[in-house]
Amino acid sequence: MSETRLKILQYITGIGLFLLVGTHLIVSHLSGGEPTAWESIAERASSSFWLAFYILLLIFGLYHGLHGLRTIIIESIPRLPAKVVDWTLVTAGIAIFGYAAYIPISAF
Amino acid sequence: MGTKASEKGHLPNRLGIKGWVWGGNYTLERYLYTLHRLTGLSLLLYVTLHLAMNGFRLGGVESWEDLMSVFGMSGFKVGEYLVAAAFIFHALNGGRLMLQHLGYTLGKPKPPVYPYVDSMRRRRPIVWVMLASIMALAIYVLVAFVT
Repeated sequence: MSETRLKILQYITGIGLFLLVGTHLIVSHLSGGEPTAWESIAERASSSFWLAFYILLLIFGLYHGLHGLRTIIIESIPRLPAKVVDWTLVTAGIAIFGYAAYIPISAF
Repeated sequence: MGTKASEKGHLPNRLGIKGWVWGGNYTLERYLYTLHRLTGLSLLLYVTLHLAMNGFRLGGVESWEDLMSVFGMSGFKVGEYLVAAAFIFHALNGGRLMLQHLGYTLGKPKPPVYPYVDSMRRRRPIVWVMLASIMALAIYVLVAFVT
């Protein structure tokens, strides 16, 4: 994929994260109640809306974060071949996605 | 300039990480870039830890409540606020960068009259609007965290 397309995806995931993380922060921290209590967690875990929400948040967050990290690594250590950086981050991203997606899916 | 980077058609990054601290006599925008990267890396570290902690949910109610009792301590509350503040800065500054990269807030081209002002040294009102919005939101979230 070209650098321009990767950058446009970075913008799209950035806008998406602003909305998704904003919602997550409002629900988890600013809306009162006990959002981290086990009952509240169990209630959200049984909802297909929250499952889809967290998976989407995970995909957007992983792409945005790892692409940002790639930019910093390639810019700061230009001797490193870009393909090595790309494949390392893609592998890490898939592993983190597998682990992090398993948690809400197994609780659903 | 026989570096690998210049052979590939890129300019070599001579300053490296040191350039994050001092890149030259530029305006505030040059240093907002540094803060954008630092907040981005901090958020990435936080998200990694957050995802690892979520795994405690698989251990059942006792394991989860033990973890939450640790996070109820005041030191963690301060950390939680700093994460929210980093998110506010990163999101709003990211929006400004997006608008500038796409050319919407660069300003109109001007004739090259001495003393020359290049794009990096031009002062743009959007920076101050963004900083004021960040301050307002950070104070709002602080009040919400405290009360």
